[in-house]
Amino acid sequence: MKRLITTAVLALMALAVTHAIASAQDATEVMKKSHMAYYYAANDAVYEVTMHLFDKKGGERTREFTMLRLDKEDGGDQKYYTYFRQPSDVARLSFMVHKNATGNDQRWIYVPSVDLVKPISADDKNSSFVGSDFTYEDVSGRRWTEDNHKLLPESQLDGKAVFVVESTPLKPYKGFAKRISYIDQTTHIPLKSEYFDDKGEVVRVEKAVKIEDIGGFPTVTSRSMESLKKGSRTVVDFTGTKYNVGLKDDFFTERYLKTPPREYVK
Amino acid sequence: MKKGITEFSIRRPWLVIILAVAVTAFFAAQFPKIKIDTDPLNMLDQNEPVRIFDVAAKDAFALHDFIAVGLVNDKTAFTPDILNRIYRITAEVEKIEGVIVEDILAPATVDDIKQGPGGSLIIEPLMGGEISTPAEAEYIRERIKSNPILRGKLASDDGKAIALFVPIQSKDMSNRIAGEIKTITDTHGGGEKFHIAGLPVAQDSFGAQMFKQMAVAAPATFLVIFLLLFLFFRNVKIIIAPMVVAVMAVVWAMGLLIVTGNTVHIMSSMIPIFLIPIAVLNSIYIISEFHAHYAGHRQKEAGIRHSIHELFVPMLFVSATAAVGFLALAITPIPPVRVFGIFVGFGTLAAWFLSLVINPAFMMLLSDKTLARFAQATDDRGLLSRLLHFFRTFSSRHNKGIIAASLIVVVISAVGLSMIVVNDNPVKWFKKSHPIRQADMAMNNHLAGTYMNYLVFEGENSEAMKDPAVVTYIESMQGELAREPIVGATTGLPDVVKKVRYELFGADSSKLAIPESADEIAQMLFMFEMSGGDPGDLFKFVTPEYDKANLWVQLRDGDNQAVTKVVERADDFLAAHPLPPGINVSWAGLPYVNVIWQKLMVGGMREALLIAYVIVLVMMTALFRSFRWGLISMLPLTITVGAIYAFIGFVGKPYDMPISVLSTLTLGLSVDFAIQFIQRMRTMYDRNRDFQQTYHDIFEGVGRAIMRNVLVISIGFIPMLFSDLVPYITVGAFFLAIELVSGIVTMLLLPALARTFRRGLFPAAAPEAVAAEPSQAQA
Repeated sequence: MKRLITTAVLALMALAVTHAIASAQDATEVMKKSHMAYYYAANDAVYEVTMHLFDKKGGERTREFTMLRLDKEDGGDQKYYTYFRQPSDVARLSFMVHKNATGNDQRWIYVPSVDLVKPISADDKNSSFVGSDFTYEDVSGRRWTEDNHKLLPESQLDGKAVFVVESTPLKPYKGFAKRISYIDQTTHIPLKSEYFDDKGEVVRVEKAVKIEDIGGFPTVTSRSMESLKKGSRTVVDFTGTKYNVGLKDDFFTERYLKTPPREYVK
Repeated sequence: MKKGITEFSIRRPWLVIILAVAVTAFFAAQFPKIKIDTDPLNMLDQNEPVRIFDVAAKDAFALHDFIAVGLVNDKTAFTPDILNRIYRITAEVEKIEGVIVEDILAPATVDDIKQGPGGSLIIEPLMGGEISTPAEAEYIRERIKSNPILRGKLASDDGKAIALFVPIQSKDMSNRIAGEIKTITDTHGGGEKFHIAGLPVAQDSFGAQMFKQMAVAAPATFLVIFLLLFLFFRNVKIIIAPMVVAVMAVVWAMGLLIVTGNTVHIMSSMIPIFLIPIAVLNSIYIISEFHAHYAGHRQKEAGIRHSIHELFVPMLFVSATAAVGFLALAITPIPPVRVFGIFVGFGTLAAWFLSLVINPAFMMLLSDKTLARFAQATDDRGLLSRLLHFFRTFSSRHNKGIIAASLIVVVISAVGLSMIVVNDNPVKWFKKSHPIRQADMAMNNHLAGTYMNYLVFEGENSEAMKDPAVVTYIESMQGELAREPIVGATTGLPDVVKKVRYELFGADSSKLAIPESADEIAQMLFMFEMSGGDPGDLFKFVTPEYDKANLWVQLRDGDNQAVTKVVERADDFLAAHPLPPGINVSWAGLPYVNVIWQKLMVGGMREALLIAYVIVLVMMTALFRSFRWGLISMLPLTITVGAIYAFIGFVGKPYDMPISVLSTLTLGLSVDFAIQFIQRMRTMYDRNRDFQQTYHDIFEGVGRAIMRNVLVISIGFIPMLFSDLVPYITVGAFFLAIELVSGIVTMLLLPALARTFRRGLFPAAAPEAVAAEPSQAQA
């Protein structure tokens, strides 16, 4: 009898442990899939982007740019190219990022008024992207391997079944102390992400406002980020998104910063 | 009315006391609802343009009041150990509730733009983590020194001082947050001393401190007054009444202030100490009169009736004039001063009424045995009598000399008054030895300053601030302001543009200039936002719409005089160099707001004082039914106010908020003795028609009461001289000066005038009734 109980207890414990491990694995798997669906759709992409920056008082600034993306491999290195049209006084200013999936990114900026290309080595991925509520990392993605993930009870969001994943950075990180992501169970698109500071308060909330199917890829065509403490909010609208257009690696070089590839950047 | 009140107190002493206690209890019950407000902005009316603009500017540029935390080390503050501790302190400070984390300025939080390997541009935190070598520490110092946005602000050029600026959600958190910061610096501190400074801390701490001081000063004053009264009257039971009257008057005034929804400001916190002397004065006259009468007649009720009868009119006028002085403050443009004036005025009248009813009621409750002992106690052969004798003989012998001396004093006073310097700085409301003053001195000696003003440039449309003409204009204004010695640093849009441009061109000094095209300016600023610069940092200097720009003007000195000099320099520059078309410029910031309310206050006080002066003159003329006597009665107060303020002018003590408020108190208190002296002298003469007799008796009668008051009030407030807060010391010193000067002037000049102009002032034939009240009732 005694032995039976011991065995049962041990079995239950083993079950609990394996379940926990499985859960962690599941959570990481969910986050990886989500990362792929969100940041690595197709091999390349062209986006027409309008960014609305709302400040605390409701004042609005807009930025319009074309963004090109080329993946080296799924989940690996990527190249981004951004060409600004609005505001008009920064028209023709362009910006390039070589994203290193496992190390530091490389960035270049072209300043048309002085006709100068300047490398920028900002290690701080947590800094604001062109003054918006999005960080550089929000734009190009935070690799799933940098955080610990844990599945929370599944839930519903906007009528969709979602995985709820709690992520905590492996290394202390200024960007957030904890993040909770709500990930669509079918498309793996993150519908909502909440970023917490070390006081346990929500600081930023990202939402997928509009999701469309483009060329078979579920694509967020409008996303918003709200900074709760600052009271500011940024809404990004993507129009005319095209996938697998056959972008050349050559476009993502200094030369094209000055003279953008006209077939994609009008 | 007077008879009714007196008779009621005589017949129903218990009822009077119970009623008074009940009313007092009602007002005391309001105390928990007290609202304290130490925000200097509330010195100004809601609709005051400078206030509206200050709020709008803070809103437009997301500016917050801040606490400056500094460390000064005689050798260098740039050692790995100190910097690492500051790094850890910063992390702790970020956790404090109410701190605006993203706006903290500290080595760990500010971004540095610099050259990286391969001609790249790096933007990274100045101090990204803890460091280990002196070379790293020295490198951080160099980076601060070479960055116009940080230089002088974050560290002194010599590296002896480091500062953190901690913005806070609202000013009324300053004292609490400063306390929490101190706890943090204490736990992380080595041998170095951390300073905590800034106007918000000074002003908020003052609010907290004044209540503590009140809790010490008020009881100490009470105790000293109680002891002095005991010395005079040698009877505890009889002197309880004045103390009760004082407490009740204070509770009534403060209770009414609270129940009517008014907030207790720095000014109104002084109501209790203003009311105590006023309340005690009345009672001392009554007790003195009663004492003299009872000693002769041994009749309690008759003694009370006699005292009230003799004193009713002078007391009414004394209280009314004091109340007028305070109520005149209601016309000033400073809301807290208006509240102060109205409620201290109410308290004055309450004190008058209470002393009329409480003193007789208490006397009724005393047994004949107690009173008999009280009557025996005299200080006839004491110091007081010798003093009175001196006044009597001196004023009689040297009457003309006294008048001549008074004239000389008036002339000298006029000179002193012209030397008065109007100046104020709330930090200096603390004693030099106070940590806040120490912090202020240490940090402003080394760094660019703890006082922040803002010069706001406003354009008519968005993008106006990208115009090279505008940016260049701001730059030249910076150059001009920097020539003022107290300007520690100016920081603005031109600095950001120049710094980005300089770094973009590979740290090329020739590029440290404003570009000629608006597009280039726009792109430099965009670069700043692109390359990881916090947009929040940029929008402290320009609005996101680029229609307004904000020049931070950091001052090492918050004295209104010094701030005014900076403002005047800017005005001169604006006059000589017209602004680009469509651009306007205005000041914001606490030091500037302080300058404006001081201006309003000084002007308003002057007006209130003049009006009160005229009203008091009219009242005196009515009381004495003689313009001549009216004028004479104004002399002691005129000379007292003149001499005290002339003294302030001569010694160069700045005419600040407390001193300007005290002018009305001086007026009210110093007319008191003159009224008592003249009224009683004339009544006496009216009865005995013998000038010599009157001259002799007046010193014994009212003279003794006046001397008692001089001693009680001037000595009673000496505990305040030991306060940590300068305004309290000032108040204590004023009571001393008012009582001594007006007492001596009353006791010397009035009899000297009476003797010299005796024929005109005391006609031999029976004149018309002397007092407002008929005086047939001989006791």
